[in-house]
Amino acid sequence: MDAPLPLPMLMPLGDRAFLIRFGTSLSEAANRAAITFARRLDLRTPEGVEEIDPNLVSVLVRYDPARVVPEKLAGELRLLLSGTDDAQSSTPRQHRIEVHFGGEDGPDLDSVAQVLNLTPAEFVAAHNASVLRVLTTGFAPGFVYCGFHPEALHLPRRAEIHTRVPPGSVLFAAGQTAITATPIPTGWHVIGRTDFANFVPDRDPPTRLREGDEISFVRAGS
Amino acid sequence: MSGFLKILRAGPLVTIQDMGRIGNLRYGIAASGPMVRSAFRAAGAMLERAGEAGIEFTPTGIEFSVDTTTSAGFCGGDFKLIVNGKPALWNAAYALAPGDRISIAPGNWGNYGYVRFEHELDVPPLLGSRSTNSTVGLGGFDGRPLLAGDRIPFGAPGSPSPPKGDILTEPQSLPIRVIWGLHADLFPTAMRRAFLEATFRVSKRLDRMGVRLDGGDFFREARILSLVSDAVVPGDIQILGDGTPIVLMRDHQPTGGYPRIATVISADMDRFAQLRPGTPVKFEPVTLAHALAAEGGNR
Repeated sequence: MDAPLPLPMLMPLGDRAFLIRFGTSLSEAANRAAITFARRLDLRTPEGVEEIDPNLVSVLVRYDPARVVPEKLAGELRLLLSGTDDAQSSTPRQHRIEVHFGGEDGPDLDSVAQVLNLTPAEFVAAHNASVLRVLTTGFAPGFVYCGFHPEALHLPRRAEIHTRVPPGSVLFAAGQTAITATPIPTGWHVIGRTDFANFVPDRDPPTRLREGDEISFVRAGS
Repeated sequence: MSGFLKILRAGPLVTIQDMGRIGNLRYGIAASGPMVRSAFRAAGAMLERAGEAGIEFTPTGIEFSVDTTTSAGFCGGDFKLIVNGKPALWNAAYALAPGDRISIAPGNWGNYGYVRFEHELDVPPLLGSRSTNSTVGLGGFDGRPLLAGDRIPFGAPGSPSPPKGDILTEPQSLPIRVIWGLHADLFPTAMRRAFLEATFRVSKRLDRMGVRLDGGDFFREARILSLVSDAVVPGDIQILGDGTPIVLMRDHQPTGGYPRIATVISADMDRFAQLRPGTPVKFEPVTLAHALAAEGGNR
């Protein structure tokens, strides 16, 4: 069980944005609160807001100071924070993502399994056992964080960085599985690859997965 | 219109920019846009009509020719402008004819200059913008900086009465105003004081993603670990593990996991972006109200 959440904190991030933070460490409850608040803002965007960006435990609200006085916007955001409507009550969208685990597609699979005292097959089974949620997108175009795996599967990031992993890389660390959509450097373990392309820049919106969606990972071809 | 602009020579990081791709942080994409927004606007305001996109160049400059009739406005740091072999005034607009050749060479100060045209630069808009984000390879001209040999087609004439911008004189380096940042309260008081008392210097490691500063060694002992990654905005000052402060600029990563002590206010971002390596920098904290009042016409 997560401890009860602290009261959300609203703070300026520079002079064109507020950050509303639901916790200072990553927890299921803080993440759900951030997603719910972002949905509420999407539905009732206050005047002058240019952008709503849900993160792991916070929501960034960028505004145009020529269109809204920040104090007024802060007041409206606080009102929305105390609202009790249920933007979160809709059923989450569900996705099945096929992964080619191990081998050239997942060069770190064997070492990850070994550290966790599992065979690679056991690790894949454990990895795919639970439905994960998209915690947030960001970091890089189309990059998604999915969580959370049970404690027994937690392990830290790699000591060495992979200088460039291809789009569709399935990454694993810190109780989460992430999927890349563009070539990036990463310190996470690369356990597989998916043909699922989450980022298509000329589509609107450019990503298919959204925070709050539910993901079932399956072995490709199964 | 069927004409085009041909790049004859391009220094590093010459890119196509417009006012930016706002609203895409949730998809993992920073807005990009010009490093010096006021100069970008001013280059357009010199023209009767201006395309939304223009070219940003760095101190080594650029050389290009056009095969059509258009007008071009030039603004930014200090650069030497040569039109068809003859020196011409910088911070000015010129009518161009087919075969005209423009050469821009470094001047005495500044990191960025701009040329905008009467006609649109006809590269495909991506997520509502023609800005290049070369870090992730998106937008502009194939998502990359311009190179000699590139031919950029001109499109329709731009909008009349482009918004005004300010021509910046040589920037005063001291001080740069900031609002205390997302993690300021996690830094010990003595370290926050040291941050305000220190004279940093702009390092040679600067690009459109960020500007690293020298002189932050006292941050080494900060030991602010395991922060949850959070949204980043332009101007955020991150302290890296070795104590290096880095001011995040227009092509910043959308999220960051390093502690952020302060954020440069919007009104001072253009001036900061023009500071060359070696320039001393001091920071001064201001309130949100002060930052907004300072912004004035710089929106």
